[in-house]
Amino acid sequence: MATNGEDAEPEARPQPSHPRPLRRTGDFLGKHRLSAAISRLNQEIQYLQAELDEIETMKPSSEACKAVVLSTEGKSDALLPVTPGPENPAWHRWFQRVPSSHSRKWWTHKGSDVS
Amino acid sequence: MSVAELKERHIAATATVNSLRERLKQRRQLLLDTDVAAFAKSQGRSAISFNSTDLICCRTLQGHTGKVYSLDWTPERNRIVSASQDGRLIVWNALTSQKTHAIKLQCPWVMTCAFAPNGQSVACGGLDSACSIFNLNSQVDRDGNIPVSRILTGHKGYVYSCQYVPDQETRLITSSGDQTCVLWDVTTGQRISVFGGEFPSGHTADVLSVSINSSNSNMFVSGSCDMTARLWDTRIASRAVGTYHGHQGDVNTVKFFPDGQRFGTGSDDSTCRLYDMRTGHQLQVYSQQHEGDDNDVPIVTSIAFSISGRLLFAGYSSGDCYVWDTLMAEVVLNLGTSQNSHEARISCLGLSSDGSALCTGSWDKNLKIWAFGGHRKVI
Repeated sequence: MATNGEDAEPEARPQPSHPRPLRRTGDFLGKHRLSAAISRLNQEIQYLQAELDEIETMKPSSEACKAVVLSTEGKSDALLPVTPGPENPAWHRWFQRVPSSHSRKWWTHKGSDVS
Repeated sequence: MSVAELKERHIAATATVNSLRERLKQRRQLLLDTDVAAFAKSQGRSAISFNSTDLICCRTLQGHTGKVYSLDWTPERNRIVSASQDGRLIVWNALTSQKTHAIKLQCPWVMTCAFAPNGQSVACGGLDSACSIFNLNSQVDRDGNIPVSRILTGHKGYVYSCQYVPDQETRLITSSGDQTCVLWDVTTGQRISVFGGEFPSGHTADVLSVSINSSNSNMFVSGSCDMTARLWDTRIASRAVGTYHGHQGDVNTVKFFPDGQRFGTGSDDSTCRLYDMRTGHQLQVYSQQHEGDDNDVPIVTSIAFSISGRLLFAGYSSGDCYVWDTLMAEVVLNLGTSQNSHEARISCLGLSSDGSALCTGSWDKNLKIWAFGGHRKVI
């Protein structure tokens, strides 16, 4: 809420030489922050320009897509219904009888080797 | 130089940055000649075919009395640590469903937990803006609690995520609401490096998730409320190696793809995406039409890849857990509609180290273990 400056000031102040009230600290901090922000932006501009240069010789996405497809092949994966071997017997532990003094639970094994 | 002149320079520099970013975006768009699904289809691939009962919930871990927020497996296959709104960490033997440790936390608002590579310690963090380390072999105190062995302080915001560096027992990375990630030396409690913060290429909002590259543990990726993922080299804290745009909402979860050259993300915009680490290309968007109005669109809370990378598991706020065929970008199973599924939001999930089981954690207070119980064909 704006207040009348004269009411707030008990003593008369000398007329300031600037058209607006001097706030030295505020101005200094404002300039400092702005300068720092501008430095950061200039640095960012350099990085972005370097990135644009890099993009000129960058391979298209199809190359990486091919690599993704190839990387999933030939790897044995316990959670896939069809998977390259070897099948690790430890995968079946989740369905084997678990000796436990606290529980009589066991889980039926629904696997490929049940005849 | 006057303030007015500086302001003009600031405006001009901002305009240049924006224009360069726009040019980069357009150049990148031109390089996207295909996505993974279109390429895979052109190579004659077809989607994985699951029977609805192939992935079975074979354990339900009950014990938390509040929402489960986070979980992590040990490298030695069968143990899991979970963190809950009830202010506790529980360590489970996932095979027997037994609780081996229950740790009551000083700060009950925990958001994340992680197992140390040797399985002897666990870390957690949350609204106390700190990361607490507990040695599971410690003598319990007179209240039966495991005392905290180290508190990592320094973040100026909540700790949303933490992960131990895979081959180093003593190093841990956290991500925070203070917009930074930090690499810690757990033995001394010192910050080794701070990623982001005052430097221009850091995240500009809360950092919600991290994932360390297991093929090259110097590299990690972070996901943020600023809608980007960023790649970092732990040896170069001054600048992110890359920034990945595309998401239209908070990036809640990031996870490296098994080949260590790509990573996946999940977001409030309801999509998952796959990015190429080196080029920055967005290789695939995993997006499903959802029924209901726009206000109801579920967010992706957590993701994990199966050990080959062929499957992408994604947990959603709706309680769904979609199993995506990574190559074909199709949902091949929904664990949220399986028998025995969770009854509320899936908040976290993770694969066992041998890839034989998936653990999901939920706001229904339970964790569930899923494994393949169908007929497996080994070729």
